[in-house]
Amino acid sequence: MATKAKAKKHAKSAAKVAGAATTTDKLYRTSAVYKSPRKISVANLPSSYSRADLEFIGVDHSGASYEARVYLNNPGADADTQAVEANGYAGSYYIFGHGGCFGDVGHCELHQRDEFDPRPSSPLEPIKKVVMATDALKKATAQSSEISVTVVPIIMSWTEKTDMTDIMKFDHINLVTYD
Amino acid sequence: MASLIVRKNSDNLNNAELTALRAGYAKAQTIMDNRGYNHFAGLHGIPNWYCWHHSHKQGSTVNANLFLPWHRAYLLYFERAMRDQSPATPKVGLPWWDWTSSNSHSVGVPNAFTVATAGGQPNPLFKAKIVAPTSTPPINRFTRRFPGNPAQLPTAASVTTLLNLTQFNDFTNQLENIHDFVHGWTGGNNGNIGGDMGSLGTAAWDPIFWSHHCNIDRLWYRWQLKHGVNNISPNLLPMVLQPFGLKVQDVLSINALGYEYAASFNRL
Repeated sequence: MATKAKAKKHAKSAAKVAGAATTTDKLYRTSAVYKSPRKISVANLPSSYSRADLEFIGVDHSGASYEARVYLNNPGADADTQAVEANGYAGSYYIFGHGGCFGDVGHCELHQRDEFDPRPSSPLEPIKKVVMATDALKKATAQSSEISVTVVPIIMSWTEKTDMTDIMKFDHINLVTYD
Repeated sequence: MASLIVRKNSDNLNNAELTALRAGYAKAQTIMDNRGYNHFAGLHGIPNWYCWHHSHKQGSTVNANLFLPWHRAYLLYFERAMRDQSPATPKVGLPWWDWTSSNSHSVGVPNAFTVATAGGQPNPLFKAKIVAPTSTPPINRFTRRFPGNPAQLPTAASVTTLLNLTQFNDFTNQLENIHDFVHGWTGGNNGNIGGDMGSLGTAAWDPIFWSHHCNIDRLWYRWQLKHGVNNISPNLLPMVLQPFGLKVQDVLSINALGYEYAASFNRL
Protein backbone atom coordinates (compact mmCIF):
# COMPACT_ATOMS: atom_id res chain seq x y z
CA MET A 1 0.00 0.00 0.00
CA ALA A 2 1.37 3.33 -0.91
CA THR A 3 1.96 5.89 1.77
CA LYS A 4 0.57 9.37 1.49
CA ALA A 5 2.96 11.76 -0.19
CA LYS A 6 4.59 13.96 2.38
CA ALA A 7 5.35 16.92 0.21
CA LYS A 8 2.77 19.60 -0.36
CA LYS A 9 1.22 19.65 -3.77
CA HIS A 10 2.82 22.32 -5.86
CA ALA A 11 0.97 24.64 -8.17
CA LYS A 12 2.61 24.85 -11.54
CA SER A 13 3.22 27.85 -13.72
CA ALA A 14 5.00 26.88 -16.86
CA ALA A 15 6.54 29.10 -19.47
CA LYS A 16 7.90 27.65 -22.67
CA VAL A 17 11.34 29.09 -23.22
CA ALA A 18 12.27 27.73 -26.61
CA GLY A 19 9.76 26.88 -29.28
CA ALA A 20 11.24 26.23 -32.72
CA ALA A 21 11.08 22.54 -33.60
CA THR A 22 7.88 20.56 -33.24
CA THR A 23 7.22 16.87 -32.92
CA THR A 24 6.12 16.76 -36.54
CA ASP A 25 9.27 18.17 -38.04
CA LYS A 26 11.47 15.52 -36.45
CA LEU A 27 11.74 17.06 -33.09
CA TYR A 28 15.10 18.37 -32.28
CA ARG A 29 17.49 21.19 -32.74
CA THR A 30 21.09 20.22 -33.12
CA SER A 31 23.99 22.48 -32.40
CA ALA A 32 27.23 22.49 -30.50
CA VAL A 33 25.86 25.09 -28.09
CA TYR A 34 22.15 25.81 -27.67
CA LYS A 35 20.98 29.37 -27.16
CA SER A 36 17.33 30.02 -26.44
CA PRO A 37 15.84 31.89 -29.40
CA ARG A 38 13.77 34.17 -27.19
CA LYS A 39 13.88 35.44 -23.65
CA ILE A 40 11.46 35.08 -20.77
CA SER A 41 10.33 38.33 -19.24
CA VAL A 42 10.64 38.37 -15.47
CA ALA A 43 7.19 39.98 -15.49
CA ASN A 44 5.81 36.58 -16.56
CA LEU A 45 7.13 34.88 -13.45
CA PRO A 46 5.35 34.87 -10.07
CA SER A 47 6.70 37.32 -7.49
CA SER A 48 7.64 34.49 -5.15
CA TYR A 49 8.31 30.79 -5.54
CA SER A 50 9.99 28.08 -3.50
CA ARG A 51 11.48 26.20 -6.38
CA ALA A 52 12.26 26.68 -10.04
CA ASP A 53 13.02 23.89 -12.51
CA LEU A 54 14.28 23.96 -16.05
CA GLU A 55 12.63 21.03 -17.80
CA PHE A 56 14.28 19.76 -20.96
CA ILE A 57 11.59 18.06 -23.00
CA GLY A 58 12.10 15.50 -25.73
CA VAL A 59 15.76 14.88 -25.06
CA ASP A 60 17.37 12.41 -27.44
CA HIS A 61 19.61 9.84 -25.76
CA SER A 62 20.44 7.55 -28.66
CA GLY A 63 24.01 8.74 -29.08
CA ALA A 64 26.91 9.87 -26.92
CA SER A 65 26.96 10.23 -23.15
CA TYR A 66 27.37 13.88 -22.31
CA GLU A 67 26.96 16.63 -19.77
CA ALA A 68 24.71 19.56 -20.63
CA ARG A 69 25.79 22.64 -18.69
CA VAL A 70 22.99 25.14 -18.28
CA TYR A 71 23.68 28.87 -17.98
CA LEU A 72 21.27 31.74 -17.41
CA ASN A 73 21.88 35.09 -19.09
CA ASN A 74 25.25 34.06 -20.44
CA PRO A 75 24.82 33.69 -24.21
CA GLY A 76 28.58 33.59 -24.69
CA ALA A 77 29.05 30.49 -22.53
CA ASP A 78 31.00 27.69 -24.14
CA ALA A 79 32.98 24.61 -23.18
CA ASP A 80 35.71 26.77 -21.67
CA THR A 81 33.32 28.68 -19.39
CA GLN A 82 33.72 27.73 -15.75
CA ALA A 83 30.59 26.11 -14.37
CA VAL A 84 30.24 28.50 -11.45
CA GLU A 85 27.44 30.70 -10.15
CA ALA A 86 29.23 33.89 -11.19
CA ASN A 87 28.90 32.79 -14.81
CA GLY A 88 25.19 32.12 -14.49
CA TYR A 89 25.68 28.37 -14.14
CA ALA A 90 22.40 26.85 -13.03
CA GLY A 91 23.27 23.15 -13.03
CA SER A 92 23.79 20.26 -15.43
CA TYR A 93 21.87 17.35 -16.75
CA TYR A 94 23.65 14.20 -17.86
CA ILE A 95 22.82 11.75 -20.60
CA PHE A 96 23.75 8.07 -20.43
CA GLY A 97 23.57 7.47 -24.14
CA HIS A 98 22.87 4.33 -26.12
CA GLY A 99 25.99 5.03 -28.20
CA GLY A 100 24.32 4.46 -31.55
CA CYS A 101 22.36 1.64 -33.14
CA PHE A 102 23.73 -1.87 -32.73
CA GLY A 103 20.70 -3.64 -34.21
CA ASP A 104 19.70 -4.54 -37.72
CA VAL A 105 18.33 -2.00 -40.17
CA GLY A 106 15.38 -0.17 -38.60
CA HIS A 107 16.07 -1.40 -35.07
CA CYS A 108 16.17 2.08 -33.58
CA GLU A 109 13.19 3.52 -35.46
CA LEU A 110 10.36 4.64 -33.18
CA HIS A 111 6.85 3.30 -33.75
CA GLN A 112 3.62 4.51 -32.18
CA ARG A 113 2.18 2.03 -29.66
CA ASP A 114 -1.44 2.08 -28.50
CA GLU A 115 -2.82 1.35 -25.04
CA PHE A 116 -3.53 -2.30 -25.92
CA ASP A 117 0.14 -2.92 -26.64
CA PRO A 118 1.54 -4.64 -23.52
CA ARG A 119 5.11 -3.78 -24.37
CA PRO A 120 6.84 -0.80 -22.79
CA SER A 121 7.48 2.09 -25.11
CA SER A 122 10.78 2.01 -26.95
CA PRO A 123 13.85 2.57 -24.78
CA LEU A 124 14.72 5.28 -27.28
CA GLU A 125 11.62 7.40 -26.66
CA PRO A 126 12.81 10.96 -26.02
CA ILE A 127 13.04 11.74 -22.31
CA LYS A 128 12.64 14.61 -19.89
CA LYS A 129 15.54 15.95 -17.86
CA VAL A 130 15.12 18.40 -14.98
CA VAL A 131 17.66 20.88 -13.69
CA MET A 132 16.64 22.39 -10.36
CA ALA A 133 17.65 26.01 -10.77
CA THR A 134 15.99 27.94 -7.96
CA ASP A 135 18.95 29.92 -6.68
CA ALA A 136 20.35 30.62 -10.13
CA LEU A 137 16.98 31.91 -11.36
CA LYS A 138 16.49 34.14 -8.34
CA LYS A 139 19.93 35.61 -8.82
CA ALA A 140 19.36 36.14 -12.54
CA THR A 141 15.98 37.79 -12.05
CA ALA A 142 17.48 40.11 -9.45
CA GLN A 143 19.96 41.34 -12.05
CA SER A 144 17.92 41.38 -15.24
CA SER A 145 14.36 41.83 -16.44
CA GLU A 146 14.75 38.98 -18.95
CA ILE A 147 16.06 35.43 -18.79
CA SER A 148 17.88 33.56 -21.53
CA VAL A 149 19.20 30.00 -21.45
CA THR A 150 22.43 28.67 -22.92
CA VAL A 151 23.20 24.95 -22.89
CA VAL A 152 26.75 23.72 -23.48
CA PRO A 153 27.27 20.01 -24.19
CA ILE A 154 30.42 18.33 -22.94
CA ILE A 155 30.84 14.92 -24.54
CA MET A 156 31.97 12.24 -22.11
CA SER A 157 31.83 8.88 -23.89
CA TRP A 158 30.86 7.33 -27.24
CA THR A 159 31.18 4.23 -29.42
CA GLU A 160 32.20 3.49 -32.97
CA LYS A 161 28.49 3.71 -33.90
CA THR A 162 27.92 7.20 -32.46
CA ASP A 163 27.14 10.11 -34.78
CA MET A 164 29.58 12.64 -33.36
CA THR A 165 28.25 15.55 -35.41
CA ASP A 166 24.88 15.54 -33.78
CA ILE A 167 25.17 15.21 -30.01
CA MET A 168 22.68 17.35 -28.07
CA LYS A 169 19.09 17.34 -29.28
CA PHE A 170 15.87 18.27 -27.49
CA ASP A 171 12.49 19.66 -28.36
CA HIS A 172 12.11 22.59 -25.97
CA ILE A 173 12.71 23.87 -22.45
CA ASN A 174 10.08 24.70 -19.84
CA LEU A 175 10.76 27.00 -16.95
CA VAL A 176 8.53 25.82 -14.12
CA THR A 177 8.12 27.50 -10.75
CA TYR A 178 6.42 26.09 -7.65
CA ASP A 179 4.68 27.85 -4.76
CA MET B 1 18.59 -21.07 8.89
CA ALA B 2 18.36 -18.72 6.02
CA SER B 3 20.04 -15.41 6.55
CA LEU B 4 20.10 -12.15 4.68
CA ILE B 5 22.93 -11.53 2.24
CA VAL B 6 24.93 -8.54 3.41
CA ARG B 7 26.00 -6.15 0.69
CA LYS B 8 29.11 -4.32 1.87
CA ASN B 9 31.13 -1.32 0.79
CA SER B 10 33.62 -2.68 -1.76
CA ASP B 11 36.45 -0.96 0.12
CA ASN B 12 35.61 -3.00 3.23
CA LEU B 13 35.70 -6.51 1.78
CA ASN B 14 38.32 -8.62 3.54
CA ASN B 15 40.69 -10.81 1.56
CA ALA B 16 38.58 -13.94 1.90
CA GLU B 17 35.47 -12.10 0.74
CA LEU B 18 37.22 -10.51 -2.20
CA THR B 19 38.67 -13.88 -3.22
CA ALA B 20 35.23 -15.49 -3.03
CA LEU B 21 33.65 -12.67 -5.04
CA ARG B 22 36.30 -12.96 -7.73
CA ALA B 23 35.90 -16.73 -7.85
CA GLY B 24 32.18 -16.38 -8.53
CA TYR B 25 32.62 -13.73 -11.22
CA ALA B 26 35.48 -15.65 -12.85
CA LYS B 27 33.49 -18.87 -13.08
CA ALA B 28 30.36 -17.10 -14.30
CA GLN B 29 32.38 -15.37 -16.99
CA THR B 30 33.29 -18.77 -18.47
CA ILE B 31 29.63 -19.85 -18.70
CA MET B 32 27.88 -18.88 -21.93
CA ASP B 33 24.41 -20.26 -21.17
CA ASN B 34 21.69 -18.54 -19.14
CA ARG B 35 23.57 -18.99 -15.86
CA GLY B 36 26.54 -16.99 -16.98
CA TYR B 37 27.82 -13.44 -16.78
CA ASN B 38 27.43 -12.84 -20.51
CA HIS B 39 23.74 -13.74 -20.35
CA PHE B 40 22.98 -11.32 -17.53
CA ALA B 41 25.05 -8.50 -19.03
CA GLY B 42 23.11 -8.97 -22.26
CA LEU B 43 19.76 -8.34 -20.59
CA HIS B 44 20.54 -4.67 -19.96
CA GLY B 45 21.45 -3.43 -23.45
CA ILE B 46 22.82 -5.40 -26.39
CA PRO B 47 21.14 -7.65 -27.46
CA ASN B 48 17.97 -7.76 -25.35
CA TRP B 49 17.42 -4.15 -24.22
CA TYR B 50 15.24 -4.89 -21.22
CA CYS B 51 16.63 -2.11 -19.02
CA TRP B 52 14.33 0.64 -17.82
CA HIS B 53 15.58 4.19 -17.67
CA HIS B 54 13.57 7.38 -17.38
CA SER B 55 9.79 7.41 -17.81
CA HIS B 56 8.02 5.18 -20.29
CA LYS B 57 4.51 4.37 -21.37
CA GLN B 58 3.29 0.81 -21.03
CA GLY B 59 -0.27 0.12 -22.09
CA SER B 60 -2.41 2.77 -20.44
CA THR B 61 0.21 3.60 -17.81
CA VAL B 62 2.10 6.74 -18.65
CA ASN B 63 5.05 8.38 -16.96
CA ALA B 64 6.14 5.07 -15.47
CA ASN B 65 9.62 5.59 -14.08
CA LEU B 66 10.77 2.11 -13.13
CA PHE B 67 14.49 2.87 -13.20
CA LEU B 68 14.96 1.96 -9.54
CA PRO B 69 12.60 -1.05 -9.28
CA TRP B 70 13.86 -2.58 -12.54
CA HIS B 71 17.50 -2.37 -11.57
CA ARG B 72 16.75 -3.72 -8.09
CA ALA B 73 15.25 -6.85 -9.66
CA TYR B 74 18.13 -7.05 -12.13
CA LEU B 75 20.78 -6.92 -9.40
CA LEU B 76 18.91 -9.51 -7.37
CA TYR B 77 18.86 -12.03 -10.22
CA PHE B 78 22.49 -11.32 -11.07
CA GLU B 79 23.58 -11.62 -7.45
CA ARG B 80 21.83 -14.96 -7.08
CA ALA B 81 23.43 -16.23 -10.28
CA MET B 82 26.89 -15.17 -9.07
CA ARG B 83 26.23 -16.82 -5.70
CA ASP B 84 25.52 -20.08 -7.56
CA GLN B 85 29.08 -19.99 -8.90
CA SER B 86 30.73 -18.79 -5.68
CA PRO B 87 32.06 -20.69 -2.67
CA ALA B 88 29.40 -21.28 -0.02
CA THR B 89 31.50 -19.40 2.50
CA PRO B 90 32.16 -16.66 3.01
CA LYS B 91 28.69 -15.66 1.81
CA VAL B 92 29.40 -12.54 -0.19
CA GLY B 93 26.77 -10.24 -1.66
CA LEU B 94 27.29 -7.64 -4.34
CA PRO B 95 29.60 -4.94 -3.02
CA TRP B 96 28.66 -1.31 -3.50
CA TRP B 97 30.92 1.40 -4.86
CA ASP B 98 30.61 4.56 -2.82
CA TRP B 99 31.77 7.13 -5.37
CA THR B 100 31.39 9.88 -2.73
CA SER B 101 34.06 8.39 -0.45
CA SER B 102 37.44 10.03 0.12
CA ASN B 103 39.06 6.94 -1.35
CA SER B 104 37.02 7.21 -4.55
CA HIS B 105 37.81 10.92 -4.79
CA SER B 106 41.45 9.94 -4.58
CA VAL B 107 41.73 6.83 -6.76
CA GLY B 108 38.44 6.80 -8.69
CA VAL B 109 37.29 3.26 -9.40
CA PRO B 110 38.10 1.11 -6.34
CA ASN B 111 41.36 -0.82 -6.38
CA ALA B 112 39.59 -4.18 -6.33
CA PHE B 113 38.31 -3.39 -9.84
CA THR B 114 41.43 -1.80 -11.33
CA VAL B 115 44.23 -4.32 -10.83
CA ALA B 116 44.71 -6.45 -13.93
CA THR B 117 45.57 -9.60 -12.03
CA ALA B 118 44.78 -11.03 -8.62
CA GLY B 119 46.30 -14.19 -7.12
CA GLY B 120 48.21 -14.76 -10.31
CA GLN B 121 45.06 -14.88 -12.39
CA PRO B 122 43.26 -12.29 -14.54
CA ASN B 123 41.10 -10.15 -12.26
CA PRO B 124 37.46 -10.79 -13.26
CA LEU B 125 36.47 -7.48 -11.66
CA PHE B 126 38.80 -5.58 -13.99
CA LYS B 127 37.29 -6.57 -17.31
CA ALA B 128 34.97 -9.10 -18.90
CA LYS B 129 34.57 -10.42 -22.41
CA ILE B 130 31.64 -9.12 -24.42
CA VAL B 131 30.25 -11.86 -26.64
CA ALA B 132 27.39 -10.44 -28.68
CA PRO B 133 27.28 -12.22 -32.05
CA THR B 134 23.88 -10.78 -33.06
CA SER B 135 24.99 -7.19 -32.58
CA THR B 136 25.65 -5.10 -35.67
CA PRO B 137 28.60 -5.36 -35.94
CA PRO B 138 29.14 -8.49 -33.83
CA ILE B 139 31.15 -7.81 -30.66
CA ASN B 140 33.76 -10.17 -29.28
CA ARG B 141 36.28 -8.32 -27.14
CA PHE B 142 37.11 -7.41 -23.58
CA THR B 143 35.58 -4.37 -21.92
CA ARG B 144 37.47 -1.09 -21.83
CA ARG B 145 37.37 1.69 -19.25
CA PHE B 146 38.81 5.23 -19.33
CA PRO B 147 37.64 6.89 -16.10
CA GLY B 148 37.86 10.65 -15.58
CA ASN B 149 39.30 12.81 -12.83
CA PRO B 150 38.35 11.29 -9.42
CA ALA B 151 37.78 14.75 -7.97
CA GLN B 152 34.77 15.13 -10.27
CA LEU B 153 32.86 12.23 -8.71
CA PRO B 154 29.64 13.09 -6.83
CA THR B 155 30.07 14.44 -3.32
CA ALA B 156 28.51 13.36 -0.05
CA ALA B 157 26.80 16.76 0.05
CA SER B 158 25.07 16.07 -3.26
CA VAL B 159 23.78 12.79 -1.86
CA THR B 160 22.50 14.54 1.27
CA THR B 161 20.59 17.00 -0.92
CA LEU B 162 19.23 14.09 -2.92
CA LEU B 163 18.03 12.19 0.12
CA ASN B 164 16.16 15.27 1.34
CA LEU B 165 13.90 15.29 -1.72
CA THR B 166 10.49 14.23 -0.54
CA GLN B 167 8.72 13.09 -3.70
CA PHE B 168 9.61 9.82 -5.41
CA ASN B 169 9.61 11.27 -8.91
CA ASP B 170 11.96 14.08 -7.89
CA PHE B 171 14.22 11.63 -6.11
CA THR B 172 14.43 9.06 -8.87
CA ASN B 173 14.97 11.70 -11.57
CA GLN B 174 17.81 13.38 -9.71
CA LEU B 175 19.39 10.08 -8.64
CA GLU B 176 19.25 8.90 -12.23
CA ASN B 177 20.99 12.10 -13.28
CA ILE B 178 23.87 11.33 -10.91
CA HIS B 179 23.84 7.74 -12.15
CA ASP B 180 24.09 8.99 -15.73
CA PHE B 181 27.11 11.11 -14.82
CA VAL B 182 28.92 8.20 -13.17
CA HIS B 183 28.34 6.04 -16.25
CA GLY B 184 29.86 8.68 -18.53
CA TRP B 185 32.67 9.38 -16.07
CA THR B 186 33.60 5.71 -15.65
CA GLY B 187 33.43 4.85 -19.33
CA GLY B 188 35.15 8.05 -20.32
CA ASN B 189 37.18 8.08 -23.49
CA ASN B 190 40.73 7.92 -24.74
CA GLY B 191 40.26 10.55 -27.42
CA ASN B 192 39.36 7.96 -30.04
CA ILE B 193 36.70 5.82 -28.43
CA GLY B 194 34.68 5.67 -25.23
CA GLY B 195 34.67 3.07 -22.50
CA ASP B 196 31.86 0.55 -22.14
CA MET B 197 30.31 2.00 -19.00
CA GLY B 198 29.62 5.14 -21.04
CA SER B 199 27.25 3.42 -23.45
CA LEU B 200 24.03 1.77 -22.44
CA GLY B 201 24.42 -1.11 -24.87
CA THR B 202 27.60 -2.55 -23.33
CA ALA B 203 27.73 -0.99 -19.84
CA ALA B 204 26.61 -4.11 -17.96
CA TRP B 205 29.61 -6.10 -19.16
CA ASP B 206 31.99 -3.88 -17.20
CA PRO B 207 32.24 -5.53 -13.75
CA ILE B 208 32.09 -2.13 -12.01
CA PHE B 209 28.56 -1.72 -13.42
CA TRP B 210 27.11 -4.01 -10.77
CA SER B 211 28.74 -2.19 -7.89
CA HIS B 212 27.76 1.21 -9.30
CA HIS B 213 24.16 0.05 -9.45
CA CYS B 214 24.44 -1.56 -6.05
CA ASN B 215 25.21 1.90 -4.69
CA ILE B 216 22.25 3.36 -6.59
CA ASP B 217 20.03 0.70 -5.03
CA ARG B 218 21.51 1.44 -1.59
CA LEU B 219 20.70 5.12 -1.97
CA TRP B 220 17.12 4.24 -2.86
CA TYR B 221 17.04 2.06 0.28
CA ARG B 222 18.35 4.97 2.37
CA TRP B 223 15.71 7.24 0.85
CA GLN B 224 13.05 4.63 1.62
CA LEU B 225 14.18 4.53 5.25
CA LYS B 226 13.71 8.26 5.43
CA HIS B 227 10.56 8.73 3.39
CA GLY B 228 8.78 5.37 3.49
CA VAL B 229 9.33 1.94 1.98
CA ASN B 230 6.08 2.17 0.02
CA ASN B 231 6.62 5.72 -1.13
CA ILE B 232 5.98 5.25 -4.85
CA SER B 233 3.02 5.94 -7.09
CA PRO B 234 0.43 3.19 -6.48
CA ASN B 235 -0.36 2.79 -10.18
CA LEU B 236 3.17 1.47 -10.68
CA LEU B 237 2.87 -1.34 -8.13
CA PRO B 238 1.38 -4.05 -10.39
CA MET B 239 3.75 -3.37 -13.28
CA VAL B 240 5.92 -6.34 -14.26
CA LEU B 241 9.68 -5.92 -14.35
CA GLN B 242 10.47 -7.86 -17.50
CA PRO B 243 12.06 -10.38 -17.93
CA PHE B 244 12.06 -11.07 -14.22
CA GLY B 245 9.17 -12.72 -12.42
CA LEU B 246 8.69 -9.76 -10.14
CA LYS B 247 6.37 -6.76 -9.99
CA VAL B 248 7.22 -3.34 -8.62
CA GLN B 249 5.32 -4.16 -5.43
CA ASP B 250 7.59 -7.19 -4.93
CA VAL B 251 10.82 -5.21 -4.82
CA LEU B 252 10.04 -2.40 -2.38
CA SER B 253 11.42 -4.16 0.71
CA ILE B 254 15.02 -5.29 0.39
CA ASN B 255 14.71 -7.49 3.46
CA ALA B 256 11.85 -9.32 1.79
CA LEU B 257 14.22 -9.90 -1.13
CA GLY B 258 16.80 -11.42 1.21
CA TYR B 259 19.53 -8.83 1.51
CA GLU B 260 20.61 -5.81 3.47
CA TYR B 261 23.24 -3.09 3.28
CA ALA B 262 26.10 -2.58 5.69
CA ALA B 263 29.26 -0.52 5.65
CA SER B 264 31.08 -3.46 7.16
CA PHE B 265 30.19 -6.82 8.68
CA ASN B 266 32.41 -9.10 10.73
CA ARG B 267 31.46 -12.40 12.29
CA LEU B 268 33.14 -13.08 15.67
